[in-house]
Amino acid sequence: MELGNVFGNLALGLSVAVSLTNLFWCFAGTVIGTAIGVLPGVGPVATLALLLPITYHLTPEGALIMLAGIYYGAQYGGSTTAILVNLPGESSAVVTCLDGYQMARQGRAGPALAIAALGSFFAGCVATLVITLAAPPLTKVAQQFAAADYFSLMVLGLVFAIVLARGSVIKALGMIFIGMLLGLVGTDVNTGNTRFTFGISYLFDGIGFVPLAMGVFGIAEIISNLTSTERRDLASAKISGLMPSREDLKQSIGPVLRGTALGSFLGLLPGGGATLSSFSAYTLEKKLSRNPEKFGKGAIEGVAAPESANNAASQTSFIPMLTLGIPSNAVMALMIGGMMIHGIIPGPQVMEQKPGLVWGLIVSMWIGNLMLIILNLPLISIWVRMLLVPYRLLAVAILFFCCIGTYSLNNSAEEILFIAFFGVVGYLFIRLNCEPAPLLLGFILGPLMEVYMRRAMLLSRGDPMVFFQRPLSVTFLILAALLLLIVIAPNIRKKREVAFQE
Amino acid sequence: MRIRIKSSQDFATGLLFLIIGIGAFYIGSTYNMGTPQRPGTGVLPRILAWCLIGTGALMWIKAFVAEGAGIEKFAWRPLVMVTLAVTAFSLLIDRAGLVVAMVVSMTLTALGTHETRWREFAMFMVLMLAIGIGLFIYGLGMPLKVLPWN
Repeated sequence: MELGNVFGNLALGLSVAVSLTNLFWCFAGTVIGTAIGVLPGVGPVATLALLLPITYHLTPEGALIMLAGIYYGAQYGGSTTAILVNLPGESSAVVTCLDGYQMARQGRAGPALAIAALGSFFAGCVATLVITLAAPPLTKVAQQFAAADYFSLMVLGLVFAIVLARGSVIKALGMIFIGMLLGLVGTDVNTGNTRFTFGISYLFDGIGFVPLAMGVFGIAEIISNLTSTERRDLASAKISGLMPSREDLKQSIGPVLRGTALGSFLGLLPGGGATLSSFSAYTLEKKLSRNPEKFGKGAIEGVAAPESANNAASQTSFIPMLTLGIPSNAVMALMIGGMMIHGIIPGPQVMEQKPGLVWGLIVSMWIGNLMLIILNLPLISIWVRMLLVPYRLLAVAILFFCCIGTYSLNNSAEEILFIAFFGVVGYLFIRLNCEPAPLLLGFILGPLMEVYMRRAMLLSRGDPMVFFQRPLSVTFLILAALLLLIVIAPNIRKKREVAFQE
Repeated sequence: MRIRIKSSQDFATGLLFLIIGIGAFYIGSTYNMGTPQRPGTGVLPRILAWCLIGTGALMWIKAFVAEGAGIEKFAWRPLVMVTLAVTAFSLLIDRAGLVVAMVVSMTLTALGTHETRWREFAMFMVLMLAIGIGLFIYGLGMPLKVLPWN
């Protein structure tokens, strides 16, 4: 690919991203993202679901720019809580607690916060560049895909989601199947028959994505969080001396670079994303370190690497969504929901038909990262104050926003009953230790897979061998089968559990 | 050898998968299967039902073979109260307006945890009412009743 093209694309993106309204949505997204990142118990999935109905009133560009800002903004904010309170504001910040909180207790909260923000910024810039370079060639490849290839690719994507999910493989598998079944509820577009509606007229149009996500991620989390008594020990309310020393910077360069590289790669994998990459980056640094005993006692490397990795991954996970139209995690599934609200069918054609949208979004990520570093370093004390709001009050506010957000979708009070139902279901899943993220992926991919399966069968005149005759398709399927075999083999499963426990 | 459940959590998960799988199979059995060239409405539900029954069975085998976690205790108070809060909001919003729906659902949520401090909660509710009316009625212009008699 020619270099001129890259600059042309970026210039186009820049012209979209710096328009006054889009700058505003980018800012709004990063502020909301930081806020929910800082607050423990409020995650990006529930927030995005909550804001989806509002984006209906925006332009598609503004909507996607804001939603994206929330996701990567949450990665920045999550580290603040991890370092100061020893609670992960975001699931991807779990490992940052280990060394970040120790640094704060030693009076070095400032440098820890600064390295987390600077590392994230660097990683964000690199990841933006990776998207710029990788997206166009991947789109070219994706345009060669036939229906059978798409079907097999989605199978592979779901298998990846299982492999990379935390906890039991069989449970993740079951959750995907349940999600796919939920996705089939309603009227079948091909035949006009209704499925699994139980005669309830509200189900004829299918289960809404927003009530499902809001119930399983929003309401269920409230129920679960209200159970546990929380304790927040602020390590130091006052942060003095943000600037890291020269020594700190020198120690962090390697971890930031490695974290960025690892995160950028893991973000690409379906089911990967921010959480997995921060865990892997921490493990990698600990293995490479000359004195691993420092880790867990306030090693700056233990903050720099995972924070860079989770930000890089949260951005590169846009690549499969933008080029193939396949969501690699629950957040990307919501982004696809956001595109569909505006009548954009995700897939390789988006890049050609709406270059302004895609490139505007990519450039906005870089601008958003710049905003985030300003939001997070000089203004840190504002976010710290927010930590003083106790969860018992937050729960009340979140519940209200979930209810009114669902109502605003169609001005329908009955739809709110869905979130009550899915809240109970989601709580049952939490108690049974079943991760809800694969369910959401299955919910999005199930109906898509049915469409591609039907198309492939029609083209092959009813011969199912088509999935094994096309080279691309058969490669995806073999890869999927191999991955499943590997993960079910007990020996490797043990190692995987160890890796996740660290 | 006595057979016993070694992980009640895995057993319950398997049971859930089996119930949904068998239910889907039963309901889906009337759906049209179509021809290979034009797969009908029933194909994917049938496949998924079998897959779920399979995973449920695997869970049960695991529950009898491998030692594992038990079912964690349900926190009935927040579960019931939060569900009631959402249901109340749904039933009240059209009939009684935003203010009543908010006050009732927020109070029910607050009853879900013993940590609620009522003075603090009352002040917070006033703030939330202001945000709710200001943002959603005046800001976004949602067509909602504010008070029951509007």
